[in-house]
Amino acid sequence: MSNDGILSDPNLFSEALFEIMKSISSGMNELELYEFRYGLAELLPEGGWQTIRLERREQVEQRVNSRAFYDSIQIKPVLGDRIVLDAAIIQLSQMLFVGLVTGAYPPAWVAGHFYFDMRSFFFLHRTTYFTEKVLAHLGGEPYRRFARKQEALEPLHQVGYKAFREANAEVDGLFIQSVMKLIARRGTPILLALAGATAAGKTEIVERMGAAFKQAKRRTTSIELDNFFTDRDDREARGIDSQGKEALHFDLLTRALQDITQGKKIITPRYNFLDGSSSHDPDGRLKPGRVPVEVEPADIIFIEGNFPFLIDEIVHLIGIKVVYLTDDPIRLKRKWKRDIDYRKKYDLAYLRNRYFKDQFVMAQVAYIPQMEVCDMVVDTTGAALWTTPEIARQLDQA
Amino acid sequence: MDISPREFSKALFERIQAIEPAAQGLVLNEFCYALDDLHPEEGWDSIHPDTPEEVARTIRQRSFFEAVQVKRRENDRIVLDKSILHLTRMLFAGLVRGAYSAAWVKKLFYFDVRGFIFLPRTTYLTDAVVHHFGGKAFKSFEPRQNAFERVQDLGFRDFQEANAEIDGFFIEVVKKIISIQGTPILITLAGPSAAGKTEITERLIGSFEQLQKTTTTIEMDNFLFDRDLREDKPMGRETTHFNLFKQSLQDILQGKRITIPRYNFNTTSSSHDPQGRLKPGCSPLVIEPADIIFLEGNFPFHMDEIASLIGIKIVYLTDDPVRLKRKWKRDIDYRKKYDPTYFRNRYFKTQFLRADDIYLPLLEKADMLVDTTGAALWLTPAVAARLDGS
Repeated sequence: MSNDGILSDPNLFSEALFEIMKSISSGMNELELYEFRYGLAELLPEGGWQTIRLERREQVEQRVNSRAFYDSIQIKPVLGDRIVLDAAIIQLSQMLFVGLVTGAYPPAWVAGHFYFDMRSFFFLHRTTYFTEKVLAHLGGEPYRRFARKQEALEPLHQVGYKAFREANAEVDGLFIQSVMKLIARRGTPILLALAGATAAGKTEIVERMGAAFKQAKRRTTSIELDNFFTDRDDREARGIDSQGKEALHFDLLTRALQDITQGKKIITPRYNFLDGSSSHDPDGRLKPGRVPVEVEPADIIFIEGNFPFLIDEIVHLIGIKVVYLTDDPIRLKRKWKRDIDYRKKYDLAYLRNRYFKDQFVMAQVAYIPQMEVCDMVVDTTGAALWTTPEIARQLDQA
Repeated sequence: MDISPREFSKALFERIQAIEPAAQGLVLNEFCYALDDLHPEEGWDSIHPDTPEEVARTIRQRSFFEAVQVKRRENDRIVLDKSILHLTRMLFAGLVRGAYSAAWVKKLFYFDVRGFIFLPRTTYLTDAVVHHFGGKAFKSFEPRQNAFERVQDLGFRDFQEANAEIDGFFIEVVKKIISIQGTPILITLAGPSAAGKTEITERLIGSFEQLQKTTTTIEMDNFLFDRDLREDKPMGRETTHFNLFKQSLQDILQGKRITIPRYNFNTTSSSHDPQGRLKPGCSPLVIEPADIIFLEGNFPFHMDEIASLIGIKIVYLTDDPVRLKRKWKRDIDYRKKYDPTYFRNRYFKTQFLRADDIYLPLLEKADMLVDTTGAALWLTPAVAARLDGS
């Protein structure tokens, strides 16, 4: 059958595509053709597959690696009374589908640059977190690597806590041990900053570390960087984004970190995400009627947030800087289970648009830059603990 | 009783795991995420469970389900209907405080983990239905669908594999009846959404084709009047081209080609006026004669004038909890057809109303019931006798 014949017959097209997709995405194997067609229906071009124009591979690669492409993704485009998928996201997957069926795009090339998320039913770009610069900073190879048990999660359409925790048991265990060694060497109080993308598993690992420290008779507490945000209205009026120190009650933050590392109880602002207001005014004074957050002194103080060590002025106060990394496909499967199936937090199209966009943008502005300056990376998907050569030396001496 | 929200969640999680094996796949954190959505503003102490008798009475009342609002919005989002929310909260609170026993809850309700709500169980095999089918199943197999109790959503393949024995036996029985009754023959196969109608119909057609029999399908929706003329009345004599319908069935049973109205779902109008005349500019549907003619749709085939024309009246049934798990996978995960909360409201509501309006009356008139969840085939004594006599 010629390509023209296949492209103009949606049934033949979906049958051919289904066969190829099975070799690209192991999650496909549990589907029957008719289920595949249900998923595909949303991406069926109005004028048929023959209307899809293919770009050259180099063009595609260039596009999916450019910040402008992701900036242009709309996360809430509305058609009628429904949020729909962004047009560029649809177009990318349509192109890849047609290229796979006609043979213009080899499966290996597609699988090398993209992953297919079963629940989203579209392709997303693969992010390279371990850039050359990151690798150089972390001494070129991991401190320790285990069997990659997350591979067993690949055929799943969504991932729950149990399976995730079990897959990470070894690398998580070594990570906690290593942190304890470093703390024994450096003394307390100590600030431990943990950066990680949404659904990477930050909350769970912090809970486990908390339990481990408690067993060792150490007191722990945590500081949420988000609580230091200034009023949203004020930030928007001044045109600043939510990433730099300008967005924060920065003097209060610096003083709080200094005080708590000296064993003092601290009082921090409290940010209300619902109305975007801080308990403190722009000059750092508590607003009437508002309640700040009180943090008791502790031995180990966790700092959680997206950007805990991107602010140069406070980096020197942080004792241990960790990036907790889980690959994009696994995080997305966790979000389906957690944020959609359990929490029912987002519209389905909104989640997909937003993840497609944020995955790239956040890697570039937050996680890769922090990997370049951190002490340790826990790569749960690679089942590897990475450290700087200096930290590796300290761990080996202990 | 003063109990902290965390203690409440822990206690509830244990009770729910005992009631619903699929919840055993969760850890407490996940359970709490889902529970957050249902947390009462004034705490669990503000929930006062009705007595078990009151609850049992409520869920038998049609008006309770009719009042469910499927698309009410708050802050731009569709929200869970108030009475669904209240029922689940009451059951949660009653389970934790011991006002309801787990066994009682499990008998009257099932808990859908994806939906995170309790739904009343429907009894399809009522005394009247069991009596209609002569008191016992014609044949039963091992109920392999029991394994689905542990999953939160269900794909096509697992469903098909679990039903392999009962489906295979059902197809053989249908073939045998056709060989006894001869062709042309009309077959209706009714069943609730996601019971598996489409798949089993495809398999039936495949097996008839192997026997060199021709098949065709008549979509009963094509006989509907324009929506404006139906005023939301159920499908019946007043809302359909009834005479055309009856005549068409009689004709095709005599091996004639038939010309029938065409209903357009986009414009919600029929190609024919209420007097049965083709409207100018409209084209009817032409259906060629065939050996086996499937009538598709939920037309009330229990109406006597029609029932006498139909060779085999089948109800294909899958229990509500399993259908719901299939719909999560098919209609939400793959098709993304509905807002998940709209979907929960609607399933809760229609599960009861459709059973009451359509399936229970149909079951009392059907020749055959395929109960995929019970892995059993039920035949009326008359049909069973004809089969045994052959």
